[in-house]
Amino acid sequence: MHEEIDYDQFLNQYRSDPFEYIDVKTSHTGRLRFKAAEGDAVEGITGEWNHIKGTLLYHLERERNVKPVHSMDNGVVASVDRALEGQFVEAGETVMTIRHPLKKKEIIERILRNVLSMFVAPERAKYFFALDLQSRIDKHGQRSISIKPGDEILTMSLMKRDTPVMFQGEPGIIHSVYFSPGETIDQGQPLIGICAEEKLPLIQKIIARVKLEWE
Amino acid sequence: MIAKALLQARQLELSLRPSYPREIATAILRYGAMVGAECEHLPEASRCMDLARAEIQICDREDRSFPSGRVILADQLTGGKGRFLRHWHAPAGGVWMVLTLANTLLPEHAALYPLAAGVACCETVRHFGLNATVKWVNDVLLGGRKVAGILTETVSSSRGGEEFVLIGIGLNVNNTSFAPELRNTAASMCEFSGHPFDLTEIAAMLIAKLSWNIGLLHYTEAEHLAADRGLDDDRPHPLIASWRLLTDTIGRRVRFGFNVVESAQYTATVVDVDPCGHLVMRLENGDLVTESGGEIMYL
Repeated sequence: MHEEIDYDQFLNQYRSDPFEYIDVKTSHTGRLRFKAAEGDAVEGITGEWNHIKGTLLYHLERERNVKPVHSMDNGVVASVDRALEGQFVEAGETVMTIRHPLKKKEIIERILRNVLSMFVAPERAKYFFALDLQSRIDKHGQRSISIKPGDEILTMSLMKRDTPVMFQGEPGIIHSVYFSPGETIDQGQPLIGICAEEKLPLIQKIIARVKLEWE
Repeated sequence: MIAKALLQARQLELSLRPSYPREIATAILRYGAMVGAECEHLPEASRCMDLARAEIQICDREDRSFPSGRVILADQLTGGKGRFLRHWHAPAGGVWMVLTLANTLLPEHAALYPLAAGVACCETVRHFGLNATVKWVNDVLLGGRKVAGILTETVSSSRGGEEFVLIGIGLNVNNTSFAPELRNTAASMCEFSGHPFDLTEIAAMLIAKLSWNIGLLHYTEAEHLAADRGLDDDRPHPLIASWRLLTDTIGRRVRFGFNVVESAQYTATVVDVDPCGHLVMRLENGDLVTESGGEIMYL
């Protein structure tokens, strides 16, 4: 992380284009049938338990099994790769892009993600802090807790099997927590954001500046 | 003693699977043959899980490979614990064990280890004439009370980084006295049958059933790899099919929570388990929700 952060660059970037462009990629191989078109407004997952599926985007058929794929985010379908309609596609292929409008909170979050080190979920599962770490957080607060590579920080719980998760990355303090116990987190989604202790004042400045300048 | 009983139990196991062609049943048992290939029997331990962890680290320090499938049995535990550090009462009279497996399965198949252990445990109790059921994911019940608890954890060796799955099983067999707070929720096999059981015979049968069900995981993975297909198709995993035959969870109204004892999240009715073993429930407003972790309490 650099000492000098060009706030104006960050803010101008989001002022001129306050959207995030989310690529929708296929999870596995199969024959593709689009169910949403360019310009369609789409909804993401909703519901108290994130149980209500988003708008249907496409069907992927593999070995006569049709898998409906729903939008994870709200926004507008910005582009669709129409050439893939009815074609057999590989896993990980970008089939459409969703333009998601960013709120102030999301913009702060995205700027922070540029300056914090993200520790992401190794698998789709439920996570909770390691018991020892949780008791330290309860006692002192998360921003007083330093972690270093090799520390057991989380427990990943999947089908009632608990797996300890070791921290890998630059040492620092736990600045942001992006999960709550009991919630299912997708693979690759951030779990915690880490910040070197001496950089904390800088982070606070970024948040204050965005809050002040963003309407 | 246990080795001889295990040999007999394994032979019996083959004859108990008539729905499988002989050559497939033999292949499945061969895949699961490492389970119980090494057994240690202790008169007392604090926690078998802790012993297994320590043994993995010792092997690691000495640059030795840990024997996958190793079982540690103890006559009684002085510091038995379940998930979320819940106390597990483990006096003499029960089967208290840990099975350590090198995790060589792909993640989608390894996710079914806890189900495999639950099925093995439930099948063991049924083998001895008691009508046990399994509650998602793997609590084994007799008359609605818990007769067996399973704790599954993953550990990595500190130097080699090899991943091991520890399956801790506590089965109440001849022990009939429970702590006052557990009297209405815990059960033992002896209490339901009216007679005590031979613990060696029960332990051997449990290991043989684990051997079958874990062998089934490996065999099915090999089949899926050969056919280039995943778990998310319409054909149910044979382990899920076994689990369905033993469960009394489907159709039940339940309270769900990550740690349901401490904080329940919602109530729902169980609709099914999906091909990956995840629990599909219908909320009171009619919406469906699928959970891959957490626990349920019957209402």
